[in-house]
Amino acid sequence: MTPIVEATNISKWYGKVIGLNNFSIKVEKGITGIVGPNGAGKSTFFKLLTGNIKTNVGELRVLGEAPWRNPRQLAKIGFCPDYDFLPGEMKGREYLRFVGGLHSMEGTALQDRIAEVLGIVGMTKDADRGMGGYSKGMKQRLKIAGALLHDPPLLLLDEPLTGTDPVVRKELIDIIRDLNRVHGHDVIVSSHVLHEIERMTHSVALIYKGRTVAIGNISEIRQLMSGHPHNIVLEGSHMVDMAKVLVSRDFTVSVELRPDRTGMVVKVDRPEAFFDAMPEMAREAGCELRRMESLDDDLESVFKYVVRW
Amino acid sequence: MDLRGNMIGFRTMLVFSSRKLVSHRRWLLAVALGALVCAVMGYGATQDMADIDTASDMMDLLLLTFLLPVLALIYGASMIRNEMDDRSIIQVITSPLDRRTSYLGYFIALTIVLVVLLSIITALGGVSFFMMNGEEGAAGLVLAFMYAMCIGAVVYSALFLVLGVVLKQPIYLGLFYVFIWEGFVGSLEGAIGQYTIRHQLRVIVSDMVSSGNIANVEGDTGTATAILVVLTVVLLVLGVYAFREKEMP
Repeated sequence: MTPIVEATNISKWYGKVIGLNNFSIKVEKGITGIVGPNGAGKSTFFKLLTGNIKTNVGELRVLGEAPWRNPRQLAKIGFCPDYDFLPGEMKGREYLRFVGGLHSMEGTALQDRIAEVLGIVGMTKDADRGMGGYSKGMKQRLKIAGALLHDPPLLLLDEPLTGTDPVVRKELIDIIRDLNRVHGHDVIVSSHVLHEIERMTHSVALIYKGRTVAIGNISEIRQLMSGHPHNIVLEGSHMVDMAKVLVSRDFTVSVELRPDRTGMVVKVDRPEAFFDAMPEMAREAGCELRRMESLDDDLESVFKYVVRW
Repeated sequence: MDLRGNMIGFRTMLVFSSRKLVSHRRWLLAVALGALVCAVMGYGATQDMADIDTASDMMDLLLLTFLLPVLALIYGASMIRNEMDDRSIIQVITSPLDRRTSYLGYFIALTIVLVVLLSIITALGGVSFFMMNGEEGAAGLVLAFMYAMCIGAVVYSALFLVLGVVLKQPIYLGLFYVFIWEGFVGSLEGAIGQYTIRHQLRVIVSDMVSSGNIANVEGDTGTATAILVVLTVVLLVLGVYAFREKEMP
């Protein structure tokens, strides 16, 4: 199957700042999540896909064509950026008329399509209000409606969930899933939160500092998260005894007791084995735990581990 | 995108960009500057010895030398630059509309808004003077300046629009151009004073009026018009090229 996006060793830098660094990826049809912390290069990647900027080196193909200086191709792409650009003085429906006009849509066909996309994103009721009074969630919905209006095969959604409350986030996740399952659009969606992406798709690419760290199924990514060494904070009673028990286990790499002996940081190379053994170890040491927290149970740690930082 | 698509896109750019220009708070500044011109013209008309020559000189100074380039700078330099800065331009540059077409949409919208604004202010300024003074020949003078203002709006729009695309702070170079080059260098005697848009506009007006210092400006109207047309085309081509090649991070 031909990938919808194929980037081969692309790099993009802005002066001395590197946006993407020897970045390669193949994106297949369906929903694909691009996950990475802020500054990882997600937005740079989207700007390259839409031809807003051009690569310094490497080859990029979107739907089989190079995107730079290729406005014709933008008829096949709908883009929803991560920032707020909606003109506050306009009404939602007026804004969509503007977007439709730029995509050579007019007349009743445009009116009908506007009504349809407003229905898809759940904004029919508020479409005739000024956008200046919209909540963050409403703005995100309308931005998605704008990207969707010309019915493109490929949708690029850059951090569509950022700044929304949990209820809106759930609704947006449902909408994004339906854009693929019900309406047949291929979707590339970015986020810096893995579990948000996990609720939309199992196909994920992790990027960090402008590079692809891992691409694949979300379960493989989860494996990476639980498989890399963790630093775990323990607080409670009998910490010295607990430390003695811990150093006798083969998953323990190091133990660092606090001077006041009420807590420690233990480094383990197999976190899952550590957590499984914890109840038994606590019993053995006679320890009552008040706090147990992994300092590395996040994507940032996975990225650092994978790139050996 | 085919021709029909480009036409719809162009029309959309024209309508929404004009609307954005008119509804922006800049209109307060335009009204204030317009009111200032009208007030000064009206006041000038009440002074001793004020006649149609006075009216012509005032229009030359207030409208052609000051208001025309300043309003064009305020509206033109910020038009695309503001959209690039607040990133609302994203909708235009991620649409299949050819960037050459969208740039022309910006240009025509800017020109129309400036022509309407400047025509109204010129007419009101002229009316202010002649109502207070009662001199004859008012209509011809006002129409001549209105004509020059419209031509000037086209040329200055092309100039300041391209500055807004290529420079992050176009206003500084724009101010330098308006006040140092056009205002100071343009008023020098000799050939160097002719290398300004203002001079070419004055040549065109001189052919249409017989009052005031502007009537004595030497030059060929056909040549002046040709210079302005060529300059506009060159600036537009430059602007279209810069806009098309521009990366918008």
